[in-house]
Amino acid sequence: MPERGDGDLLAAEYVLGVLDQKEREDTARRLETDPAFARAVDNWEVSLAPLAGAYASIEPPAHVKRAIDARLFSSTAIPTPSTASGGSWWSSLAFWRGLTAATAAALAIAVAVPVLRQPAETTDARYMATLAAEASDVRYAAMYDQHDGKIALAHISGAKAADQDFELWMIEGTNAPVSMGVIPSGEMISIRITPELKAKLAAGAVLAISLEPLGGSPTGQPTGPVVAAGDLKSI
Amino acid sequence: MPGSNTIDDCGRMQTAPQDITKLIIRVSMKDRAAFDALYRQTSAKLFGVCLRVLSNRPEAEEALQEVYVKIWNKADRFAISDLSPISWLVAVARNHSIDRLRQRRRPTADIDEAVDIADTAPDPESLVVASGEVGQLNNCLQELDDDRAAAVRGAYLAGDSYAELAERHGVPLNTMRTWLRRSLLKLRECLER
Repeated sequence: MPERGDGDLLAAEYVLGVLDQKEREDTARRLETDPAFARAVDNWEVSLAPLAGAYASIEPPAHVKRAIDARLFSSTAIPTPSTASGGSWWSSLAFWRGLTAATAAALAIAVAVPVLRQPAETTDARYMATLAAEASDVRYAAMYDQHDGKIALAHISGAKAADQDFELWMIEGTNAPVSMGVIPSGEMISIRITPELKAKLAAGAVLAISLEPLGGSPTGQPTGPVVAAGDLKSI
Repeated sequence: MPGSNTIDDCGRMQTAPQDITKLIIRVSMKDRAAFDALYRQTSAKLFGVCLRVLSNRPEAEEALQEVYVKIWNKADRFAISDLSPISWLVAVARNHSIDRLRQRRRPTADIDEAVDIADTAPDPESLVVASGEVGQLNNCLQELDDDRAAAVRGAYLAGDSYAELAERHGVPLNTMRTWLRRSLLKLRECLER
């Protein structure tokens, strides 16, 4: 929930831009250290963003871009993306934690990007899904790499009781859910896919997570509520 | 992504939000080609923001440079915002321009230029956010008295401080503060309905 009271008003004043220099500096410092306050500021940025439609687009002179490039890149001559950053970005838990449901959905598309930078020799597909549900704060991001037959899961938010397990299911069309096993606890998890599942797992299949007794569903079908779900998108 | 780009009235390519999202994510991975593309597609909007707040061309050009340096260095912060990609970029430019405005010792506004900028046609609001959100904010602003709504819009667009607003409206600073805070509380109450 957004922060209420003075903090929320201060957030509104900061976003509106009416504070003096000292107040803005203090507020900017608080933004770095107080996540609830930062969230309140972000909420106000979202609420007031429509006002920015009144800003005209005005083409800047060409020398501005040259000056930016000189400031950023004058010592690094070759403009190639760093090769190490893709992996660290994917595995950065802080990054995934920070995602809200809305941006997570947008990022399902954006995650295509690391793939664009892969060498082209592999024809195996990669798929991405963000798993979430209304009325549940459980969120996972899933990436399925057909080549290595593994699903990587990033646990973004949501907890379970000590005597419960999250179980991962694949739902293909109107068929009954197929268990992919209990999800081990941890922030970044990898689950190996059986060959028969691998044949069925493709774009459009739905991944779902249900809350089950410890050790997984005793019946082979989900017995508890589905706390997160999402469909696999080809990336 | 086929079909996601359109040509606007001025013949410029417009980019769908998810494409700007992709570019920002790639910039967070220090992809310089993505940075160039992001600049091409968003610098006119952000320059408009800097120019409107700072009302001074050389200073706005300097601010725009600093804004894109920030974007290069802090693109990963986009992921923790609920803002649409273009709104996030506008927020970076706006906040930076307002900070610069506050750091000035005295106003250096070029009046002629400020008028020129004010006369330029605004972008279609669809460039910034979905029309539903525009409608909701506008409806809520309409529930405020006209002068209060104008003060909120004016403060947002130009980055006016309480002190400047108080002077313009001929009221004490604390009165201005109380006014605007009441307006913001009403706005919040309406937006949450």
